[in-house]
Amino acid sequence: MNKKSLKISAQRLMLGAALAGALAGSPALAATQGTLGATSTGTVTITASVPNRARITGLTDVTFASQDPNTAASSAQNVCVWSNTATKAYTITASGSGTANAFTLSNGSSTAAYSVEWAATSGQTSGTALTAATASASLTSGAVNQTCSSAPTASATLLVKMATVDLGTMSAGSNYTGTLTLLVTPQ
Amino acid sequence: MIRNFPLITNGVALGLALACGMLPSSAYAANDKARISGLADVAFGPVSTATDTPISQDVCAYSSSATNGYSVTATGSGGGGAFTLSSGAAQLPYDVLWADSAGQPNGTALSAGTTTSGFISTAGQQGCSNPTASATLTVVIRAASLGTALAGSYTGSLQITIAPQ
Repeated sequence: MNKKSLKISAQRLMLGAALAGALAGSPALAATQGTLGATSTGTVTITASVPNRARITGLTDVTFASQDPNTAASSAQNVCVWSNTATKAYTITASGSGTANAFTLSNGSSTAAYSVEWAATSGQTSGTALTAATASASLTSGAVNQTCSSAPTASATLLVKMATVDLGTMSAGSNYTGTLTLLVTPQ
Repeated sequence: MIRNFPLITNGVALGLALACGMLPSSAYAANDKARISGLADVAFGPVSTATDTPISQDVCAYSSSATNGYSVTATGSGGGGAFTLSSGAAQLPYDVLWADSAGQPNGTALSAGTTTSGFISTAGQQGCSNPTASATLTVVIRAASLGTALAGSYTGSLQITIAPQ
């Protein structure tokens, strides 16, 4: 398993990536040698294993600027999640920078909670709520390469939301910042 | 390395053939022989998706022609002789390089099923006792291929044929 961290803040959210490993065996060796002749032919057996790998790209920071505390805040972004397993399956684990990986922003003296949702397709306005530091159920990526450089250009939606009840606890004129780390694990 | 000798050897062969009243079909005598030996299987193990992964091996390519020249034809086990490994239906392409001296990390890229001419052997004997090897075979799995490869165990075979020139 491998992860990269994503950073989030009321000012910004940073990205992350991930991969994971597995391996495979190799068959019996059987090189053959040529004999002297008008032509001579030898053969070699070639083996390789490609471990399970995943990657998340296309993440951007999230900023909720001058947010009206009476209006819930929501930020959705399309990202690329790629998995090289036969089923293209993966899990996503989100960890915040709050205590015990909580999804909280801090201004240094107080914190405000936010929520994280994930959808396994792009362009979504809602998704499955993620629990901090807990792997999601298995999802399937539609990406055909690591960075979605060819269609589809994104394969998932990351949503960061703040409820009015949490916005209402924040001090006006104060900057709240946090980091969100996303770990993708191929399945 | 490929050396540009064919024109010279063709000229020699043409003269000899005309003197004998024959049409030349190649630069080497009919009884010239070649031998490839010292081949070892190539086991990459788990390969990274971030970088090209080459494996080189020293081999013995012997040619008894007057110039010690030879050609190389490589054929993979993929469709149409392509250089591909397979894991079920999944394919993983690779490249094949050939150098006509030992210990070379690079070489001339071979095209599957296509004969590449112009190599010279330094092997004094068909088994390469001195020098102990006369060529380098390199197999490369490119990072670009790994970037989209499905996870799994891949296998394939590579056939190398050399002929005196």
